[in-house]
Amino acid sequence: MMNEQANDPIERLLREDSRRAIPDQGFSVRVALALPGAPRPWLRPTLVAASAAIGSVAAWLLAPAGTSLLQGFLDLARLQSQTPSALTAIALALAMAVTAVVLVAEEN
Amino acid sequence: MAERPEPADAELVHAVVARDDRGAFALLVRRHQSMVRSVLRRLAKGDHGLADDLAQETFLLAWRNLASFRHDARFSTWLYRIAFNAWLSEARKRREVLLDDPGEAPVTELADPKLPDPARLDLERAVASLPDGERAAIAACYYADLTHEEAAKALGIPLGTVKTHILRAKARLRARLGEEKP
Repeated sequence: MMNEQANDPIERLLREDSRRAIPDQGFSVRVALALPGAPRPWLRPTLVAASAAIGSVAAWLLAPAGTSLLQGFLDLARLQSQTPSALTAIALALAMAVTAVVLVAEEN
Repeated sequence: MAERPEPADAELVHAVVARDDRGAFALLVRRHQSMVRSVLRRLAKGDHGLADDLAQETFLLAWRNLASFRHDARFSTWLYRIAFNAWLSEARKRREVLLDDPGEAPVTELADPKLPDPARLDLERAVASLPDGERAAIAACYYADLTHEEAAKALGIPLGTVKTHILRAKARLRARLGEEKP
């Protein structure tokens, strides 16, 4: 039975034809680009930069009157951490640290 | 240093489902694109453009439904079923498709005098000239490398019909390709 099949020219032709591989020729890339939610490399840096900018402006606007971020860092450098400016600078540094931790966790 | 062996389909499927790993999915596409595209080329009667569109749709459906793959069949068999259903749905949009009718016309009546010299017809064109059911059976059993049982299950037709389709298809191909012994 197997020999009969092996000797059948149509059987052989079909087997040979089915073994012939079709070259990819960009097909896999075409599928990758069509996948839903395909990665957009520009999206994450843009989101991070935009949210950092919004956060900085919000921190600046919401800081107690008369405080300055620069003054805050100067106060911290002089080990005066209880001034309103220093507290604003600490809050901003903490927010940035949290962002960094989240980004590193996501990367891993 | 020994090269790391290629990961098995099951590992790649797990990577896609667990980690949304697009690299693993790309490897699955590269590994199976030839089978899927050649099956669809046969089903689409040699229309390579349509076959590639359906092949893309097949892989997109596979991506969306990968979590439902139960590993009770080979990944290639699962993929074949999606490809076949994609073709069936496309074919039904155009006309009715008959898969389980073994056909009444005797094979000896198939030699069409209007056809060019049968010896000059290549296999792809000869397969394209087969009725839908026979073409689907040939695509499943040869190009997707399914057993007759797997093909019957995938095509949703009885095992006996698959065997009849294969026998008739081979007889028709023999006649079309001019290899039938007198």
